[in-house]
Amino acid sequence: MTLAVRTEGLVKRYDGTLAVAGVDLEVAQGEIHGLVGPNGAGKTTTLKILATLLAPTAGRAEIAGADVIREPDAVRRVIGYMPDSFGVYDDMKVWEYLDFFARCYGLPAARRRQMIGDLLELVDLADKREAPVQTLSRGMQQRLCLAHALVHDPAVLLLDEPASGLDPRARVELRELLRELRSLGKTILISSHILPELEELCTSVTIIDRGRVLASGRVADIDARLRAGAVLRTRILGDEAALLAADAFFAADPAVVAVEHLDDGWLELAFRGDDAESAALLARAVRAGHVIITFARAASDLEELFLQVTAREGTPEDATAMTGGAS
Amino acid sequence: MTATARPRHDPLARLIRRLNRLRTGVMAVGTKELRGRMRGRRAFAVLTIYLILLSLFSWGVFEFYRNAASSIYGGGVPSVALSAQIGQSLFSGLLMIETLLVAVLAPAFTSGAISLEREKQTLDLLIATPLSSVALVVGKLVSALAYVFLLIFASLPLAAIVFLFGGIGPEDLLRAYLLLAVVAIGFGAIGLFISALVRRTQAATVLTYVTVLALTMGTAVLFLFLYATSGAAQTSTQVTDAAGNTTSVTTAGARPPQQLLWLNPFVADLDIICATSNSGYDTACAIISAVTGKPYFGATFGGGGECPPGALCTVAQPGAAPTVGRGFGVAVDCPNGGDCAKPLVTAAPVADVAPGSLPPPTITGIQRDIFWPQSALAFLGTALLLTLLAAQLVTPTRQRAGLPRWLHRPRRRRATETTA
Repeated sequence: MTLAVRTEGLVKRYDGTLAVAGVDLEVAQGEIHGLVGPNGAGKTTTLKILATLLAPTAGRAEIAGADVIREPDAVRRVIGYMPDSFGVYDDMKVWEYLDFFARCYGLPAARRRQMIGDLLELVDLADKREAPVQTLSRGMQQRLCLAHALVHDPAVLLLDEPASGLDPRARVELRELLRELRSLGKTILISSHILPELEELCTSVTIIDRGRVLASGRVADIDARLRAGAVLRTRILGDEAALLAADAFFAADPAVVAVEHLDDGWLELAFRGDDAESAALLARAVRAGHVIITFARAASDLEELFLQVTAREGTPEDATAMTGGAS
Repeated sequence: MTATARPRHDPLARLIRRLNRLRTGVMAVGTKELRGRMRGRRAFAVLTIYLILLSLFSWGVFEFYRNAASSIYGGGVPSVALSAQIGQSLFSGLLMIETLLVAVLAPAFTSGAISLEREKQTLDLLIATPLSSVALVVGKLVSALAYVFLLIFASLPLAAIVFLFGGIGPEDLLRAYLLLAVVAIGFGAIGLFISALVRRTQAATVLTYVTVLALTMGTAVLFLFLYATSGAAQTSTQVTDAAGNTTSVTTAGARPPQQLLWLNPFVADLDIICATSNSGYDTACAIISAVTGKPYFGATFGGGGECPPGALCTVAQPGAAPTVGRGFGVAVDCPNGGDCAKPLVTAAPVADVAPGSLPPPTITGIQRDIFWPQSALAFLGTALLLTLLAAQLVTPTRQRAGLPRWLHRPRRRRATETTA
């Protein structure tokens, strides 16, 4: 079976800056693959190359076996692309917007009519059919843009930060929508710098930073491979003295790198070890007489992973990149 | 259907399929553009203002000539000649002002065509579809021109008023509207190309109008300068024709190339206007004559051919030594009835033509179409070239296809746009 998406040593250089520095990606058909990284990591550039919008400086990129440079038309028929930032046309109704893109794919009129109705139903915009596009809310425009990427029933969807700018409810709806699309057999490559939104959705992820792949594979695999440590949160019942005693106990444990006090009896432990070791630590703490209400891994797994992976190569520049810097 | 599935052995079928795809794409873009353009009141407001301007102008011309006539004839005697003069003035005035409006409006509708898509971040959405870049730019051009054509042809009833006064034939009006349409295509394509070349709409619009100004005012001033300094139309040669009359023939050697003015629609206008004049001795004709080096009167003498301007012709005089002179188009006799464009090196006295036996010169009337057809072709050629270049410019992944570096799609400079 051909891979839905494959890149090999993909490099893109813009006027001296290296946006993508040798990215290898492999996404099997039917997967939802997350492309994760901070701003400026090269996610958008990679997706643009896959969408035939940029020529790579070096390397190869293929969609369903078709090379993006040599067979752009074949690629364009297979992909549905949703850019991270997009505009809408003024003076255009919702159905006309979809009709226009359907015409661009050369769909016959009868199929266009049918498809527009179905798609508007799918993205929950059926009642906005006659509304001018520019009057739609951000979330609606986002859904419309997703619908536009689906007019030709593509096998591969390239979605660049589809959830950015959406409120939590809209995010949940989007996630449902993407699951539904996956159940229709589509392969989805989705990028994001917000991890929790991908964690539940993706079957596999690639973590990239500064143009390089840091880790790739199934979430669980990466998790197992990279789990050199974790953040544990524990809540101690009792007064200040009990808390300090627990602090001293944990700090003395060789597996605990650091202990931090949070409000309300919470302690945060930087822990080096796997699940079995953390269970053993809990058992020891209970045996030592500490009254523990909660003892759990902090934060979402993927996010924690991500921070670990990206921090490992971390330099002070990273901090600026994370807060909206440039590539 | 994928690219690999296409049968490569059948070029005709492939061509038809590609043309079909092009047509579908142009239709898609054109439909979308026209829906946007014709929606709302703006399109009709522009049309109304345009027609009001033209009407006021025509009325002004009419009043001007009526007053002039009444001051000459006292009681305002409307003669047939005056009526024709009004008709011709109306025609030339309308043609000029419509050319001006087309030169202003056609680039206005296209100079934002591609750059607006870039600015509103909708271009990527289009490029990611199988829509070809040629279909995209042609669709943009066609839809912009459709509206300009609407404006042009909406003025037809107004222009038809000239028939009321006379002095203008339908063939003149046909030429005028053909030229207007071609000028719209040419200037529209210029705007489209610059829109694809320059990233910002504002800059594209400014650059487009600078180009239009350079093509109209600039070329005219340059031509005038070259004409004045080159000493064209300065030298005269005495040519004696078969009948023994001596004619002064002007040398047209150092004339600046008329190609310089091919993309100046107003000069092409003058050619059409000249054809409507009564005498041929009017300003439009004089200018066209100076530009092309051709006389505004076509005249044939004595059964011989015309001696084209600048060509060296031997005037064979029966019984005398042949005189050599440069042609000016008129009054040079070629008794052998042959092609005087080629110098008759071995021109001997032609024995069978007796002196004085040549028929008198026949004036064939004012020469038509000596400039504007070339101009129109130049506009169409430019439009074709610029449209294809614009298509190349919107194709992001085919940048390296043999284009000079400066023509490559402008790089994104702003860092925020390149964030991943």
